[in-house]
Amino acid sequence: MVIEAKGHCLIDVGSTYIKVSTANSIEQHFRDFNADILDDLLSKCGATVSQFEKHNVYICSSANGGLSTLIIGVSNTFSLKYATNIAFNSGINIIDTILYQNIDEYSLPSERIDVVIIVGGINSHSALFSDSLFNYLADLEYSNIVFAGSEQDAPLLKNHIDDLVVLPNIVDDRLHIVEQHLKDYLVNLYQQDIEGKEDIKNLYQITSNQIYSTPYIVNRALPFIGSKFAVANPFILLDIGGATTDIHYSKDLVEDNMVTENEYDRLVFKRLGVYRSRQSLILAAHANEFVYELLSYLKVTENIFNEHSDKATRILMQLAIFLVLYKISRYGESYVKLKLLAINSIVFTGGITKMLSSDEIEAITLFFYRKILNSDHRPVTILDTDYDIWTLGARGDDSCQ
Amino acid sequence: MGAKPMKVVTGVVGNDIHVVANRLIDLSLQARGYEVFNLGVNTHLAEFFDAAVETGAEVLMISSLNGEAEGWGREVKLLKAKYKGLDELIMMIGGNLVVGSGNTEDIIARYKKYGFDLVCHQTDLNTGLDLLEEFIQKRSAS
Ligand code: B12
Repeated sequence: MVIEAKGHCLIDVGSTYIKVSTANSIEQHFRDFNADILDDLLSKCGATVSQFEKHNVYICSSANGGLSTLIIGVSNTFSLKYATNIAFNSGINIIDTILYQNIDEYSLPSERIDVVIIVGGINSHSALFSDSLFNYLADLEYSNIVFAGSEQDAPLLKNHIDDLVVLPNIVDDRLHIVEQHLKDYLVNLYQQDIEGKEDIKNLYQITSNQIYSTPYIVNRALPFIGSKFAVANPFILLDIGGATTDIHYSKDLVEDNMVTENEYDRLVFKRLGVYRSRQSLILAAHANEFVYELLSYLKVTENIFNEHSDKATRILMQLAIFLVLYKISRYGESYVKLKLLAINSIVFTGGITKMLSSDEIEAITLFFYRKILNSDHRPVTILDTDYDIWTLGARGDDSCQ
Repeated sequence: MGAKPMKVVTGVVGNDIHVVANRLIDLSLQARGYEVFNLGVNTHLAEFFDAAVETGAEVLMISSLNGEAEGWGREVKLLKAKYKGLDELIMMIGGNLVVGSGNTEDIIARYKKYGFDLVCHQTDLNTGLDLLEEFIQKRSAS
């Protein structure tokens, strides 16, 4: 006889770990990449999971680096920027953005894209796209494709592109952003057939609730973060994972032309992680002129990159914090620049909270603010050691909307 | 009658917050039957061109009141050259186009070199909009 456990069972399938959280326990296991995700999960936490009925199991995933998109738009300030913002906030990682007028000059991404997004033009404009779009797409490997640009161009695109999903324009007649339709579509993507993601669909055998992408869950928890932590606004939240590093930030930290109702936006550095993306993290570190100074400040040499120890992982995590702060500063190349001197708290979530102490993290933020920004500013460090933020977001629509 | 209204992208370039003329331009253009895309104050040069791409606007009408256009003007040609398909865009600028005072003819010549078709230094708005209409008529006749 199954004795049903009280409350919810929350499961997060990451690129490196599987986490299972219930009212009484939180378990974390390294994933076995040779096994199907469901088999792996049940072999490690089957006893826990089987105590819950399907409607009490909530799953989110960023397995295999999460869902990926390639965005094609006609201008950097409007369509491309708006779609980038919507994709990030929906928990999707951006492989590349293509400025349509130069599409012939872009090389094809090597990986298969989960969803291609095409945007551009207000509804009273037309004939923005032509053969160069169709030629590019003919060679691209993707699972889903969606158009959210000028409604006058939709019939032409639909004629030329198989299985094209057409959504209302994300740019309105006053050049403002319209998020909802594209966001809903992207948030629901784990319910679509995505090649290479079949094993995520298998997880529907143990839940009757929708599977969301993990960063989307984290993002929607942020307005409620004050119920768990003493966070002073404005803040940023860093989730340094195995494959990617996510940043969520208060909108007060950016100045731009996008007016939305979101209080917090997300940004991803897709090849910055300490396990699956370890090599590209090291490459990014080599390319940064301050990293050698940082290493000597941490009293290690670059030989640490060849080690596979806990200490090496901790150093990589510290490097990741530095690189991320650098990238979002005015010296970096990210699509938004944050006002870093205005940040009052930096919240850390994910595996990093199990590996680094507050002191080890603060050593890096201190180095960054002194060295790069010439400032004694010190945002407060907050560690989400028990995955409270994810739990807050994962508990379902009723508690978080 | 019945023809689609001509589209105009307007705004104040740079870190210029003088908003009064911008509002007037918006209203006056609408009154003359244009469809207006107003980017407001504090607008980067690239945003103007990007807005022209997204809207299919025929006219770009830039204001500068605090004298900053002097600096931005030099970048116009270079930046516009990076856009494919804006060759037909009518480029117009007005307001206080230099810091302090200067000879109007020299100023107009300089801004034409920067790539503007119509230059209205300290010109009354209605006079400027009349000039635009003349320009459009001449162009469609040729
Ligand atoms: C009000 C005002 C302010 C207000 C603005 C409030 C606001 N949010 O709009 C405040 C106090 C904030 C301000 C600040 C500054 N200002 Co001020 N300001 C003025 C003032 C007194 C009036 C401007 C105004 O609204 N006029 C009414 C509108 C309707 O007229 P207009 O702007 O001249 O526009 C007309 C025409 O130029 C034309 N036009 C405008 N654009 C275009 C475009 C086209 C295509 C066409 C055809 C026509 C056209 O149409 C309009 C109607 O005919 C003028 C002086 C003056 N009397 O003009 C100075 C003035 C514009 N300011 C000036 C300066 C220097 C500044 C500051 C740098 C001062 C400082 N040192 O801090 C800052 C700049 C801030 C910034 N980042 O931009 C100078 C600019 C000098 C120059 N270019 O050489 C002026 C001319 C004062 C002066 N004589 O020194 N200012």
